[in-house]
Amino acid sequence: MQRPIEKPIGTPVEELDTPALIVDLEHLDAKLASFRDGPDHRPDARVEAWVHKTPAIARRQLDILGLAGLAVRSVGEAEAFAAAGFDDIRILRPPVTAKSRERIERLRQAGRVVLDDDGPLWGGDCLDGTVTVSARVTGVPEAGLAIHDGGQKAIGRDFGDPTVVGRGDCATSAGSAEHGIVRWRQGADFAIGDWLQLAPGDVATVFSLHDFAYGVREGVLEAVWRVSSRGAFA
Amino acid sequence: MIGDPVEMLETPVLVVDLDALEHNLGVIAGHYRGKSIRVRPHGKNHKSLGILRMQLAAGSTVSGVCAAKVSEAEVFAASGVDNVLVANQVVVPDKIARLARLAERVDTMVAVDALPQVDLLAMGAGNATLGVVIEIDTMMGRGGVRTVESAVALARRITATPGLEFRGVMSHQVPVRRPPSRRQRFLEGGRSIDRVVEVKRAIEAAGIPVGLVSTGESWTYDVAASHPEVTEIEAGTYALMEVPYAYMSEFRFAAKVMGRVVERPDGRTAVGDVPIDAIGAPNGLPTVDGVPGVVVTGLDHHGVTLTAERDMPLALGDAFLLLTHQQDITVNRWDRLVGVRKGLVETVFEASARGCVH
Repeated sequence: MQRPIEKPIGTPVEELDTPALIVDLEHLDAKLASFRDGPDHRPDARVEAWVHKTPAIARRQLDILGLAGLAVRSVGEAEAFAAAGFDDIRILRPPVTAKSRERIERLRQAGRVVLDDDGPLWGGDCLDGTVTVSARVTGVPEAGLAIHDGGQKAIGRDFGDPTVVGRGDCATSAGSAEHGIVRWRQGADFAIGDWLQLAPGDVATVFSLHDFAYGVREGVLEAVWRVSSRGAFA
Repeated sequence: MIGDPVEMLETPVLVVDLDALEHNLGVIAGHYRGKSIRVRPHGKNHKSLGILRMQLAAGSTVSGVCAAKVSEAEVFAASGVDNVLVANQVVVPDKIARLARLAERVDTMVAVDALPQVDLLAMGAGNATLGVVIEIDTMMGRGGVRTVESAVALARRITATPGLEFRGVMSHQVPVRRPPSRRQRFLEGGRSIDRVVEVKRAIEAAGIPVGLVSTGESWTYDVAASHPEVTEIEAGTYALMEVPYAYMSEFRFAAKVMGRVVERPDGRTAVGDVPIDAIGAPNGLPTVDGVPGVVVTGLDHHGVTLTAERDMPLALGDAFLLLTHQQDITVNRWDRLVGVRKGLVETVFEASARGCVH
């Protein structure tokens, strides 16, 4: 379980303990509203909550879109969302053990999951461009090379390396497990302690790494959310 | 769950073969018995107090642990170790304050590679004493000082700074080409260790004692043992193992992700219930353990695709085991590791430091 330094609501985003998973709320709400008002909106669609694993984000999606149902991958994810109060959950993976069928039956009897539903799914990409990870430069061991604290365990690399937001002058951005590594040829001039924001190669991967997500609006912390079904693979 | 056959576990699940784990711990412990060199177990590889205690019980270790981050060090400090080495640079004032609070409970060391980091540590240490080691770059081109002169200058500054205690030098290495032959391991690993020893001697020549010389890891544990000035290695991968380290054939694969077949689309193909975020694949697809002719051909957020050369031997519902190509990345996705011996669940290790990236 992560143990970040806790900061109060209203904290400037740059002061959050790095690395932090940041959700841009203006961007998220605008994206949800534009889908709600667009031609592809379907009242029978389910939100793919496995992507973010976060009940507070699922609630926001359902409220703004006027939808009712969620889709998750595993029984464990369904149990986590049921515990958070959701009651219209579809499990995408077919059960193959007696134990998982029993777990699904318990959820069904409690009125939490639906079994015969093959309606449209929505939201797999709804957080693209909305989620970043903040990091701090911990060292500049040679010219053109900065080391920061947003390594693979904070940003993921399963679908490629992150990019540094707003810094097109960085030649490469990569990382080993614990260290982020930024190289540049000219232009960028990072110093120890500098704050940077990384755009991940894949949003769902980032949520599988963090226990907390920080909702930020206009550069200020508005909400701290638990990523409740993170790790509920089974 | 304890005592259940492993086949009863819901999947996917991260299992640890306890016989293999104990064997691996015994390999380095045995090699170092009677020598002065010690292992500093790296907690980042298993995130678990239970496995750390097994490493310490196996012997030939320092009475301490290595951590990658401050928040991870806090978790491992609870195991009752005497000292903690944060093998990383810590530069943000509130994180340094946290490090200083840890130093009030347990001897705490942290690595630096530049003068501004020393000044930041001094400002944030408060009344605590922080041990400081100098990180040296020997081949990775990541953190670490690049020249002997800058290391000596750093050692002078640390020694002259109240609240900080200069302890020694450290370096990490990975082999340039994998798999290296034994000869390449000794040549390449030895060259890096020589470089660390060169820096150590230069600092001593400046009149500053160097207590800790930490270099070498799982792939060079035996190389480091042949250099009398090395006091300890920071080793982690040897405990649970990963596919790219298979050339270290004295170690056995202990960590495996068990999954089940949930679909059989055709005669050669099976789809398993292990999504990519349950194993991680930054360095390549996982390897199927113990099913000859079956390989992983796909891995995404919904599952893993297994393909057989001829007929797929795995039926719907069958369990299979995957070996990871980067063990610490895999463990970091899981809240617990299930310890298994001879097909039965024997223990559950909570991954208390999972996600501790701060």
